[in-house]
This record gives sequence, C-alpha cells and structure tokens, in this order.
Amino acid sequence: MNQIPVLPFERSGHDRVVAGVCGGIASTLGVDATLVRLVFALLSIAGGAGILLYFALWAYDGGRRTWPAIVLIAAAAASLLVALGLSGAGVLGVGLLVAGLVVILVRGGSIRQEGSLPKLAIVLMVIGAVTLLDHVGASNSFIGPGAVVGTLLLVLGPWVWQLWRDHQERIRLQERADVAARIHDSVLQTLALVQRHADDAPRVSAIARRQERELRRWLYGSGVGDAVTLADALAEAATEVEELHGARVELASAGDLPLDESLEQLVLAAREAMTNAAKFSTADEISVYLEANGDQVAVFVRDRGIGFDRAGVPADRRGVAESIEGRMRRAGGSAAVVSSPGSGTEVELTLPRAAQ
Amino acid sequence: MIRVVLVDDHELFRAGVRGELGSRIEIVGEAGSVTEATPLIRELDPDVVLLDVHLPDGGGEAVIAAVAQERPGVKFLALSVSDAAEDVIGVIRAGARGYVTKTISSEELRDAVARVAEGDAVFSPRLAGFVLDAFRDGARVGDDAELENLTAREREVLQLIARGYKYKEIAARLHLSVKTVEAHVSSVLRKLQLSSRAELTRWAHERRLI
Repeated sequence: MNQIPVLPFERSGHDRVVAGVCGGIASTLGVDATLVRLVFALLSIAGGAGILLYFALWAYDGGRRTWPAIVLIAAAAASLLVALGLSGAGVLGVGLLVAGLVVILVRGGSIRQEGSLPKLAIVLMVIGAVTLLDHVGASNSFIGPGAVVGTLLLVLGPWVWQLWRDHQERIRLQERADVAARIHDSVLQTLALVQRHADDAPRVSAIARRQERELRRWLYGSGVGDAVTLADALAEAATEVEELHGARVELASAGDLPLDESLEQLVLAAREAMTNAAKFSTADEISVYLEANGDQVAVFVRDRGIGFDRAGVPADRRGVAESIEGRMRRAGGSAAVVSSPGSGTEVELTLPRAAQ
Repeated sequence: MIRVVLVDDHELFRAGVRGELGSRIEIVGEAGSVTEATPLIRELDPDVVLLDVHLPDGGGEAVIAAVAQERPGVKFLALSVSDAAEDVIGVIRAGARGYVTKTISSEELRDAVARVAEGDAVFSPRLAGFVLDAFRDGARVGDDAELENLTAREREVLQLIARGYKYKEIAARLHLSVKTVEAHVSSVLRKLQLSSRAELTRWAHERRLI
C-alpha cells in the first residue's frame, strides 16, 4: 500500500493502430488486442473517458511521464462520473478526496519516519469531503463539520503519534550510538591491550584501572578532555603514575576547585610524590587525599612501604628537594615529608588560597 | 563463622569474592537482583549482606528498604565500582553499615565483613572524603545541631581514613584506642543516616567529580 507499483506496461512497437497503447495493454495482460480496443471504444462513448485514458497511458508509457498520466487519468475518471450522472460539484468532491489519498500514498502513507505533515493532502481531503457532502444534499448541518473533524483526526492523529514516537526513537538511537562509540574507543581497546599483555599482571591491572577511572569519569564526571578541576587533574596524574609504575593509587577527595596555575604546580608536586612512592617504597597501594576548603588546599600522598630516612638522602638526589619542596615553595605553599624506615611515607602538600 | 549473603549481578565478581573470603566467612546464599535477594535474605537471615550498589532491577537501597525492618539483625555492607556520591550516600542513608570499593584487597574485604558483622561501621577513604565534603560548611544551628555537625575529633578521624590510614594507625596517631576510633566512625555513620540536612541529598546529586 505504501508505494504505487510501477506497471510493466509499455506501448507496443508493432501491434499499433494509433500509438500502440491497446496493443501494449493486450500483450501485458495476455488478452486479445481487439478486446482491449473494444473496451476503450465503449469508454470513449461515456463522456470521452476512453479517449482521455488512452492519452493517459500513452503519456505514462512505462513510467516515463507519470504526472501527466495521473492528471489525464483523473480527467478520465471525472468524465466517467459525469457520464454516470454525477454533477460537477460531486465529481470535484470525489476528485479532491482521491487526490488527497494519492498524496498520502505517494508520501508513503503520510506517517512514515521523518514524515512532514501532509498539509496538501489534508486540505484536499477536507475540501473534497465538504464539497461532496454539500452536493449530496446533507440537510443535517453536523455532517459537514463532522466530516472535516473526522478527516483531520484520521490524518493528523496517527501523524502526531508517529512523530512523537520517532522523536523518542531518534533520541534513543543517538544515545546508543554515543555509547557504542565510547565503548569502542575505550573499553574494546583496553580489552585488546589486556589480551596482548595477558602474562604481565601489573601491566594488565594498571590498564584495567586506567579504563575504570576513565569510564567512571565519563559516567559520573564532567566529560572528556583535559582536566578543568583540581580533582580531575589529580585523577589524571594518578592514572599516569599507575600506568608507568604499576602501583595502585586510591584517590579520595573532599572539595574541588577550578584548576589554575598554582594548583597545577600542586598537581605536579603530588604527581612527583606518587611517582616516588610507586618507584621506591615497594608498597603496592598509594593513598591520595585532596581536601580543598575556603582558605587552604591540601594533598596527602601516603604509602605503607619501606620508608626512608630523610637525612640519609644524598644532596644530589634532587627529586624531593626540587620537584616537591621547591615547587610548592615557588607556588606559595609548602611540603612536609614524614617518613622513617619501615613505617611508610606521607607527603603533605599545602597551598593557602587567598580569600576571594 | 560469619554467614554472608552476596548480592551482585556480576557472576564473575561473585566467583572472585567466593574464592577470597577465607575460612571465617561462609557464603550461605547469592543473588543477582533485588527480586532474588529480598526473599533469600528473609529466609536465610544472614549476619552480613554484601550488597552491590547497582542491581539490574533497582539499587542496593531497594534491598535494604525491603528487608531491614523485618530482619534488623542483618548488617549491610555496600560494594561498588561506581563511586558517584549520590549512589554511595543513598545506600548508606538507606541503612548500610559501610561502603567499600570493589578494588579492595581480599584481606581488607575480610576485615570489613568482620567489622560490619560486629556492628561497626566501615568507611573507605573515598566515602570518608564524601562525608567530609558533605559536612564541610562549618557549624550550623537548628533543632538537632548535634546531628547536623561533625565534632572536631570525628573530622580528624575521617580525614585520616581519607588519607589511607587504618583504624589501628589512626588510634596510634591520635593516642586513642581502636574501640574509640570505631565509636567515632559509628557516630559519623549515625549522623549520616539520621541527619535531616537537605544539603546532604542535594550535595550528593551535585557532586559529580571523581
């Protein structure tokens, strides 16, 4: 019903009297051409409908000129109705109704996806219905308006409903596509990596944790891209350390701030502290806690590893002195390292915030 | 022997937990959804329910809501990979005695189950951070000011938990007994569950980081 089947009709090249239309029909339907010509002749008596139909099929000619053919068929149908005794107004009414239906059919039933409102069809059908009813002599004045409302309901109701459903469907598909793309870029890549490094346990767990963090940030966080807040930046640093050195970083936080230059220095110092813990402490887990309140930001990096004696660190080992303490000092904050052999290490980084 | 029911929709995770809970803990039942878990817990009346925050037909909250009244002796310990504050605070406020992440080590998990079975509270560093954040904005007055605020000591304990300290380490550092540390954590849990702070819910919704 949704599309007009293309008739396989073509004019006959050899069996022709005028243009080969009757011969074509005869060979398409498998009947005698004379019979077809007889039918056309009879139809021609009925208000010239046969002649018009003949021209219509001539124009149609295997689907080459559809629209002229449709107009001609409409004219043929109209003359047939007139010949059958219907008045001009009645014919017009029927014609408009049929035209409306045709428009709907051509658009694939009017209520297909992305269907625009078949305004033309509605207008045609409403006018058609009114004209026809008016002519048929409906004395009851309800019928006219009733027909209009009925037509509108019939055409608009399904259309509105379908439009709403399409809308929901499109939203759902869009979301699914987003999720699929995301899963493909992240989880599937990670799974491939995990397979490739199946025998390297620390590596696999670092990859898995990185993926977990990313996924979690996507599901519950502010989105993707470069970190814009302190907590995000710390999470990124933690992930990098996990990947590079294979330790597990457990991150907790209370409060957060938009990232600025001095906070970036704080993140870099924290990253250095995490790196040291991962490389030297032998602990397999590092705890990082960020606390940001009105007047101060503090980051604690703690491990339960072997610890070290600060006094015993040679002066040329500049990691702690330069990358952590020096960096915090320049940013206007401070760093304290609490450690002793055997009892782990905690680095406390603090940065006062100017009251705003 | 601590009798545990494990509620999690990931079969793989349940298998992992089964293998690492050791000899003091016995898994007497397993469920993968709210619908399965509710009658099972009613029937088995376990000591502890290890409860996934996310389940296919609802959340851990729904399980607690369905059975807590009838089985007041059952303790719930929430487990999750999702650390959205909203979910964590939600399940705690529903009545869970603690919250740990699924990346927790076997030893810590055993310890947490034992602790919860005894009626103590178990806070992961992350949960401690959430609570500090939620109760951050200073003292407030009201009908129930005691419930709406953390004491200085409670703050200190929570801060150390967030920094990765174990109860024993906190006790040593603050010159307290482990029992006292546990009492502080339980007190925080009670405030978390009973506080009428409207901010708590709103905060949890707004909090979208980490």
